[in-house]
Amino acid sequence: MMAITRRSTRTVAGLLACFAIVVAFAGPAIASHVDVSVASIGEVAVGETVAIPVALRTTDGSPLAGTVVTFYLHMAFAGVEGEAEIGRVVTDESGVASLAYRPRLAGHHELRMEYLAAGATETESTTTVVEVTGGAQLYQSPAGVDVPGVGVELLMVVLATVWTVLFWVVLRIVAIARAGGEAGDVGREVRR
Amino acid sequence: MAALNDWQERLEETALEPVRRTGRRFWAVVVTLVAIIGWGAYAYSVQLRDGLVVTGMRDRISWGLYIATFVFFIGISHAGTLISAILRVSNARWRTPVTRMAEFVTVVALICGASFVIIDLGRPDRLLNVFIYGRWQSPIIWDVLAITTYLTASVTYLFVPMIPDLALFRDRLADRSSRWRGWLYRTLAIGWHDRPAQRRSLGSAIGVLMILIIPIAVSVHTVVSWIFAMTMRVPWDSALFGAFFVAGAIFSGIAILIIVMAILRRAYHLEEYVTEKHFVYLGYLMAAFAAIMIYANISELLVHGYKLREGVEFHFRQLFLNEFAPLFWFYLLGGLVAPIVIALVPATRNVRGMVAAAILVTLAMWIERYFIVVTGLRVPLMPYEPASYAPTWVEWSLLAAGLAAFALLITVFTKIFPIIAVWEVAEDHEATAVDAGAAIPTGAIPAVDRPRLAEEGGR
Repeated sequence: MMAITRRSTRTVAGLLACFAIVVAFAGPAIASHVDVSVASIGEVAVGETVAIPVALRTTDGSPLAGTVVTFYLHMAFAGVEGEAEIGRVVTDESGVASLAYRPRLAGHHELRMEYLAAGATETESTTTVVEVTGGAQLYQSPAGVDVPGVGVELLMVVLATVWTVLFWVVLRIVAIARAGGEAGDVGREVRR
Repeated sequence: MAALNDWQERLEETALEPVRRTGRRFWAVVVTLVAIIGWGAYAYSVQLRDGLVVTGMRDRISWGLYIATFVFFIGISHAGTLISAILRVSNARWRTPVTRMAEFVTVVALICGASFVIIDLGRPDRLLNVFIYGRWQSPIIWDVLAITTYLTASVTYLFVPMIPDLALFRDRLADRSSRWRGWLYRTLAIGWHDRPAQRRSLGSAIGVLMILIIPIAVSVHTVVSWIFAMTMRVPWDSALFGAFFVAGAIFSGIAILIIVMAILRRAYHLEEYVTEKHFVYLGYLMAAFAAIMIYANISELLVHGYKLREGVEFHFRQLFLNEFAPLFWFYLLGGLVAPIVIALVPATRNVRGMVAAAILVTLAMWIERYFIVVTGLRVPLMPYEPASYAPTWVEWSLLAAGLAAFALLITVFTKIFPIIAVWEVAEDHEATAVDAGAAIPTGAIPAVDRPRLAEEGGR
């Protein structure tokens, strides 16, 4: 019994030692020296341009200027999921990087912002969510070259002309039939 | 005098003969054709039941045998336009015995061609969507408008010059044919009694129609070509496509007309009217259009090949060297070069030679239509493996049924309507006799006093 208790105690102590070693190595990497804040976006409509500001500050509260923030959008298309880079912005003197984002699809949009602070060795990131509503058609074909007088109206004029001529031919056929009818009447009169 | 009367009588008898007598051979042909159409109907029922998945068409090659055959049929519908309208406008007298056959071919080919678009839809009820949701900017809408107009004009152009011949049938077959035939001829002859007023109206109607139908026919095949050329596909990216399609249409139209002429000539003993001269003259026209096609091919292939944009290299390899090479070389050599050689060599410049050339051209032009559709779609739009397409038994069955329907409609037409434009041939013969100083039969109005119908069109 004593032996079992002693073995369990050793096992627990070993596990605690391993944990301590892992924490000791991972600690410096996990610990961030940047405070990040993303303003809440809320709901936007499809096609509406919205700013997504990311503010970076050091732990002592001073703004982190000149840091490149890369914005990613989580996407799924044809069974493939992944992140698409949608823009890069450099933080200004107040430590804010703001991306103008124009969502093209309605739904739940997850964005991830990635940055490498000055002096840091590894990138850090934060996320935000934008709820997009509406179903406006955003694709607009270019206007092209608008030549005055060339359009559907011209097609209609050509078609109308052709069908008018065909109608005139039908009138000639009617004329043939009427002339035949008159000839038949004259023939019947003569026979009488 | 008596000779001219005999000739006229013989001509009328020849025109009436197919209507008066129907042999076993005719019924055998009809039964065979109906059986093929029946098999096609079964294949179509399978397609309607299971959907287009029973064909070889898929998402990447979404047009196949059906659309190729549609383009082919619309092409051969130009036979009537060329022979009947263009030669009438140019006052080529030799055309008269074959005009009616050409006009038959036009109408029947248009009906068969339009059917293949509906077959290709898979869901025929969706045809209405073209009218409900159609957009003026779409070449499909232009195509529907052009084909509808062309079909209407072609039926009118078939009917109007046939009125005097229908009156002849009405008078000659009165009380000697079935009741429905009598009613049909009485109705369609619309009271024709060869009155001066009627001749004037008929002449002006033909005169206007023969001019009107030429631009309509040209527009039809140009618009068909735009369905391809206005799509973002490398092999179809050509401003030459419209002219190329029109030339190819007339080319294949002449070929089909020669074949139809040869069959009807043999079946109804028309040797006196449809002579070797008609075959040779049409053979010359066919050779001329073969030369135009060669020119168009060289221009098209050289311009694309010189620049060799990304998809073009793949396209050229599949045509000249790989999958489609044997048939493509047959199209170039057998379909374009051989007809010229056959027309130029005196030994082959006869009925048999011209019919052989016409068969080669018909096969080659169908292959060309197939290549335009399938090889064009086969060029990958993105860096993926090229798709493959092989028509299934359903598609082959419907193709056979379409060709059988074409043959059946022509066969039935010849049993109901005059296959020779009797009045035109008679006028032509009369004019030739006057030119030659021959005597005019007693009682007949001399051609110089009675204006020819063909001349009353205002030409």
